[in-house]
Amino acid sequence: MGDVKLIIDGTEVSGPSGMTILEAANETDINIPTLCHRPDLKPEGNCRICVVEVEGSPRLVASCHTPITEGMVINTCTPKALAARKTVVELLIAGHTGPCVTDECAKDCELHYLAAELEVGPPRFQVKARRSYPMETLSPYVQRDMGRCILCRRCVRACTEIAKKNVFSMAYRGFHSKVVVDCDVPLDKEECRDCGICIDYCPTSALTKPNKGVS
Amino acid sequence: MERDQLLGMIKEEQAKNGSVSDGAMAHIAQTLHLPIGNVYGVTTFYSFLSTRPLGRHVIHICKSVPCFLQNGAMMAAAIEKELGISPGETTSDGRFSFELTNCIGACDQAPAMLVDDEVYGDLTPEKIGEILKSFE
Repeated sequence: MGDVKLIIDGTEVSGPSGMTILEAANETDINIPTLCHRPDLKPEGNCRICVVEVEGSPRLVASCHTPITEGMVINTCTPKALAARKTVVELLIAGHTGPCVTDECAKDCELHYLAAELEVGPPRFQVKARRSYPMETLSPYVQRDMGRCILCRRCVRACTEIAKKNVFSMAYRGFHSKVVVDCDVPLDKEECRDCGICIDYCPTSALTKPNKGVS
Repeated sequence: MERDQLLGMIKEEQAKNGSVSDGAMAHIAQTLHLPIGNVYGVTTFYSFLSTRPLGRHVIHICKSVPCFLQNGAMMAAAIEKELGISPGETTSDGRFSFELTNCIGACDQAPAMLVDDEVYGDLTPEKIGEILKSFE
């Protein structure tokens, strides 16, 4: 038990200062869905799936990176928060829908899992030109299909924070944003070995183990 | 890591050589102990920084909403027709490069464009032809 007291979904909770809303909620078995966040990575608040309502705040806040403060009153399942989460998933799916909707990988795709959980219906948003990139198969360790990437940056952070390799970076802007290697060259870097952390952290099937050619 | 100096160094390189080459990015990355991808990421984020060599004059057409609502897309099409190049390209004689940019703060004169550092507002396709003629 810590010193900061707050209320989440009507339950009194307390935790040490510096704790995030998400961590406090998880301690009380309140489940908030997440996508770009993983407990062992630094939270960045990229995807906005974990938004909650904080009384007195005009905006929804991302629970994964918002620290708890004394007297906070948080509601995790308000219609406003649920609608926002749903829309985020819909937008991500609109840009992401590729072969993985129909192929084998869909069952392992966290995005599709979330879509099912949040009861996201048929697509509302049409994208004029989908993000499409050639498959990167140069590396014997990681195969990249960036058309399936949803820009959560888990691979970037896992590679930097856990593997300490800094293989990936974010480049470009807006709709053209992309996880790149160096000056946007296909992945085939000396530093990148068979640790496979980025593959484990990828929520979709953008990063996979190559089927053959592993030496 | 000395990330806070990154943008300044990229801008300096752009001002000195007109663009930021892969070699320059590698050099900046090495100097600041950053992954080269981070330098590339910052350079490609800004429409006023370029990773490819540019022509003698750079045209930036605004693609933000106020210009868009005043037929900004038609102005971009007029430039494409006039010069025969698409956004992100340079004329074969090296006279013009054509880029799209976000808001240039000239919404009162929408649709607007920049040629080098000069703002040209209240554009029409005819006016664009006239303006471009004045550049060598």
